[in-house]
Amino acid sequence: MIDLAELVSSVAEGDVSRAAEFTRRALNAQLSAKKILDNGLLPAMDRIGSAFENGEIFLPELLMAGDAMKAALELLRPELAKRGVPYIGKYAIGTVQGDLHDIGKNIVILMLEGNGWEVTDLGTDVSPEQFCEVVRKGDFDVLGMSALLTFTMPKMAETISALKAARLRDKMKIMVGGAPVTQTFTEKIGADAYARDAVEAVAKAKSLLKK
Amino acid sequence: MQSLTNLERIMKAIKRQEPDRIPTFEIDIDARVINGIEPGATYEDFCEYMDLDALCYYEVSMDPYEVIDQARGVVRDQWGAIKRYAPVSFSIPVTLEPAIKSKKNLDNYASPDPDLPSRFKRIEQAAKKFKGKRAIIATARPFAVVRDSLRGQNDLFKDMIRDPEMIDRLNQITSDYYRRYVKNLIDAGADIILETADWAFTHGPMVSPKLTARFITPALKEIVDYCHSRGIPCLKHTDGNIWTIFDLIVETGVDGIHPIDPLAGMDLGEAKAKYGGEICLMGNVDCGELLSWGTKEEVSKAVKDCIRKAGKGGGYICMSSNSIHGAVKPENYSEMIRAIKEYGKYPLVH
Repeated sequence: MIDLAELVSSVAEGDVSRAAEFTRRALNAQLSAKKILDNGLLPAMDRIGSAFENGEIFLPELLMAGDAMKAALELLRPELAKRGVPYIGKYAIGTVQGDLHDIGKNIVILMLEGNGWEVTDLGTDVSPEQFCEVVRKGDFDVLGMSALLTFTMPKMAETISALKAARLRDKMKIMVGGAPVTQTFTEKIGADAYARDAVEAVAKAKSLLKK
Repeated sequence: MQSLTNLERIMKAIKRQEPDRIPTFEIDIDARVINGIEPGATYEDFCEYMDLDALCYYEVSMDPYEVIDQARGVVRDQWGAIKRYAPVSFSIPVTLEPAIKSKKNLDNYASPDPDLPSRFKRIEQAAKKFKGKRAIIATARPFAVVRDSLRGQNDLFKDMIRDPEMIDRLNQITSDYYRRYVKNLIDAGADIILETADWAFTHGPMVSPKLTARFITPALKEIVDYCHSRGIPCLKHTDGNIWTIFDLIVETGVDGIHPIDPLAGMDLGEAKAKYGGEICLMGNVDCGELLSWGTKEEVSKAVKDCIRKAGKGGGYICMSSNSIHGAVKPENYSEMIRAIKEYGKYPLVH
């Protein structure tokens, strides 16, 4: 009998080789990829998410856990795809035009993927037109915008205006985040949610799906 | 009180004594704001025009670099990292490729020359003009070099767990460099050294207090000890929420801490109550929302609040919560300076 608690702890502790080994063993023991995801990876991401939010772990531990999660997920993905297991939702995310910072965005991606989202990373320096193009072509539940520089925050408002002008605004929910972004600013520009960190981003994205 | 020179005003505040009024300066002022207030002024002229108590010379602006792609803003910095400057912000580049990708790169790594005379020209020129009048501040950033130039954020943070020896070796490179570099800055005329590497994010420190103490604070302590041996104060800047590492920062013996970032949950009154007896507090006027989008009345009120929270007994330098970046409204920065001069006179009455 495979004990998924071992997978949970190996991911939470950021042990890449152990996480991959337990995932392989679980698959070989005929456990479904969905079960391994639900009872192994999701609880692990929950554990590291709350530990990060509570200040019990920091960036080094989070990044190591992210690597372990990715190693396990890589092994599960072909199986999940084969069985048509749906993602929790589709999320497109990018850093706004003029801003090249991406560590915050990358942590959000890591947490979203670990929590069952299909994430499209649009990279950095994404113009309002590029955001519109991605939304037009894709079928996303949530669009996330990130900015580190106060100077680039207005690009979030410009992007929302461009989406409105292209009649794409209501196609999905919009979330914003980044060091200078606040709840007041979020409301002012007409975004649907603000997340102060990656853990909150996952919770808010999930709650937006229900709306 | 008899009015002091700008230099005396800053030094008294750093020693946590009451000067004639609360001093002010900024670690960086964007040219767009300078041009909005005093069109065409040089940085030095602007500091005189606004009567700022110190001039701050940012290290990166004095380092040599090689342009790789002018149109895309891609450069190779002096440490060997490939970086890109964002089109709208010329002061904060992003690392595309760090210098050290493996330990193999370390074995034949050649560090930049800390004695290169061109680095110190601006400090020497400032000293000729301002020495003994306005404080000349020069910056150093050992941890930021290790993080952003030598190793890159992702690998550096993971190395803290998987390969501590790698970080010890990287820290040795910057330690050797900054020992000479800081000496040269002081010899060239710097009155104060400001260490500027960010150690925290909005929600807390980048790494645990334990790893902060193991890998990050020793480089600051080394600079602090050297500055003190030369009779020079050393200040520390770090963005973010630093409550859980505040003690570690104070323990290095550093003389001042900037910018007590309100958007990261740092309350100036609480910092004054907990640490005001040990360290000079600097900053806290919100440059994210307030100086960028707020009104002059709101700016004036915020300055008054900061002075009320931290001014008593000295030990406070009123500054923005990061820098006067390009999105700051020039009229709001002018109002901030006006308000500091009106409400910051000792004895405080507001």
